[in-house]
Amino acid sequence: MQGFESAFESVEFLLIAGIVIVLAYLALEHKEIVYAAFFFGIMASFVAGFFLLLEAPFVAGMQIAVYTGGISALIIFGVLLLPRAQDSTLEAIESPRAKKIGILVSGSIMFISAILALRFPWSETIPEGTIDASLDVALLAEWLWGDHGVYVQIVALIMVTALVGVIALMKMDKAELMKDITGEFGIEARPVPEEIEPEPEESPEPEEAPESEKTSEPEASEEVAD
Amino acid sequence: MVPLSWYLAVAFILIGLGAYGMMVKRNLIRILIGAEIMGNGVSIALAAFAVYSPTFTLTGQALIILMISVAAAHTALALVLMLAYNRRYGSVDLGKPISQEEKLDV
Repeated sequence: MQGFESAFESVEFLLIAGIVIVLAYLALEHKEIVYAAFFFGIMASFVAGFFLLLEAPFVAGMQIAVYTGGISALIIFGVLLLPRAQDSTLEAIESPRAKKIGILVSGSIMFISAILALRFPWSETIPEGTIDASLDVALLAEWLWGDHGVYVQIVALIMVTALVGVIALMKMDKAELMKDITGEFGIEARPVPEEIEPEPEESPEPEEAPESEKTSEPEASEEVAD
Repeated sequence: MVPLSWYLAVAFILIGLGAYGMMVKRNLIRILIGAEIMGNGVSIALAAFAVYSPTFTLTGQALIILMISVAAAHTALALVLMLAYNRRYGSVDLGKPISQEEKLDV
């Protein structure tokens, strides 16, 4: 029975691995970049399958929530905001020599590291002990927030700083486009000239009014006298 | 249980594919996708080590959670930088500034 379970797990692993590698290749090589972004999102979901096989369900959930739900959606929004990103002439470096070097270097990284992964005696490097596959989310939360809560807060601070930097970058571009920023809360707040100039014009009007009254009063008195 | 080396082989293949995307492609969005694929490969390797090494179990998982969280922030930053690049050069082509400089030299 245990042999059947391990064989089933191996088949599951090979299936997920094949799908993930094919989807990763399609995400890099598909002509339409929108489809490439979708393939990346599906690939991230299948990577969560590895985490489930490794009995890390919380990490699998986080992978789906952040990568599939967040990052792939962000990339798709980026593609929509950048219509020139869909230009298929940008797909590879023009120089064939540079392209060949890139393929050679990345291929050698892949080949050497895969051979290393398969040939290296990993089991000897891992200390002896029972494999604790039954992971508890509560234990992980206690470890993360109890003993190492300060580090989590620091990481959160760094991420908030990055996001504030993102907003600042966007606002800087807009600020460069605006020449005159006026108003009470503007970046370069300055008084509006139209509001200041009418003040001296308004003041003579009340002075003129008494003069007209003065001139009209004797006329009225003359009329009465007549 | 599936051997550790199988997980590592898949992780390294993903890292290699991501490196290929980052080195060969000119489109900035493809390069970002390549970087994310590399990150996924690294997190698979970390998860495999976390489960197969009894002393590394919780640390490995915490590292993966940290990686996933930081990946979200750096993707947002990368996309805004792409928007700024697009405003500056009118394209998301990585070779655009070099070609403009060549034209100026001529």
